[in-house]
Amino acid sequence: MPENLIFTNKEIGFLRELKRQKVEFMLVGAAAAALQGAPVVTQDVDLWFKDLKDPGIQTALRKSSGIMVPSFGQNPPTFAGDAVKLFDIVLTMHGLMGFDEEIKNSFDVRLGSVNVRILELDRIIKSKETVRRPKDLLILPVLRDTLKTLRHKKTRRTPARTKRGR
Amino acid sequence: MRLSGENTKKLCGARRLSLNALLKRAGVSKTAYYHLIDKESVLPRSIDALAAALGVRPSALLEESDRESRRALRLLEAADRIAGSDPSMDRDNVRHTLLLLEEKPIDRLRRSLLRARKPDLHQ
Repeated sequence: MPENLIFTNKEIGFLRELKRQKVEFMLVGAAAAALQGAPVVTQDVDLWFKDLKDPGIQTALRKSSGIMVPSFGQNPPTFAGDAVKLFDIVLTMHGLMGFDEEIKNSFDVRLGSVNVRILELDRIIKSKETVRRPKDLLILPVLRDTLKTLRHKKTRRTPARTKRGR
Repeated sequence: MRLSGENTKKLCGARRLSLNALLKRAGVSKTAYYHLIDKESVLPRSIDALAAALGVRPSALLEESDRESRRALRLLEAADRIAGSDPSMDRDNVRHTLLLLEEKPIDRLRRSLLRARKPDLHQ
C-alpha cells in the first residue's frame, strides 16, 4: 500500500467541489493511465476542462484556497495553492477529437469519496503517439503493454468498471 | 475430497501441457498419480472424520499453507501467459500492471505520484 501522504483529502476535495459546481472535466495523461493500472510515474494530474472559463472552476478553487495563474508567454494557465498544485490544466489533447466527443471515451473511477471521469487508455496512447515528446516515447511501450494486458484480462472476465457514457 | 483427473487435464490444457509432461515436471510417477485418482479421498481419514463430526465439508477445515506465495505464483503465471501470447510485450510491464490492478485506483495513482518524487529512483 503506497503512503497516503500524497493525493490526500485536499486534492479529492477540489475534485469533489468541481463536480459539485457541475464543471465538465476529465482526468487525462499519465495519471489517468496510472489509474487504469499502467506502471508509470507522473509528476502531476492532468485535468482536461471542457471550458476553462466555466465560473464553477473559480468557485471550486476559492473553496479549496487555490487560484488560477493566467497564461503568460509560452506558459499555459496553472493552478496554485496547496490543494490544487498537483493538478495541471489541459486545454487540448493533441491527436484526439474535442472534449464533447472524447468524453464518450471516458469512464468513472472512484477516487476516495468522489467519482471522476478518466479518459480511456487507448485514447491516451493515441494522443501521446501524436505528440511524440521524448517523455511520451519513453512511456508508450509501457502504456501499450498495459492496454494489451487489460484487454487480455477483459476477455477472461467482466471488468469491474462500469458507467460508460454520461 | 478427491483428486479430479478432469480438472487436472483442464489445467494442463490451459498451460499447453500434456499430462505426461506435467507428471514429469512435477516428479510424480504415473503409478502414484493414478493411485491418487482411484482413491475415494486424498485426505487423511482423520480430516474426513473431523469434518463429518462437524457436519461440514472437509474443505471447510483447510486453508492454503502459504496464501501469499500462491497468490504471487498465480500472478506470475498470468503474466507469463499474457506476455507469452504476444512476443512484443515486456513481461515486467505485464507483471507490474497485474500487480497494480489488485490495488484500488487511488492507490495506483498515489504510487505513481510518489515514485516520481523519489530522487534516487534511477540510481
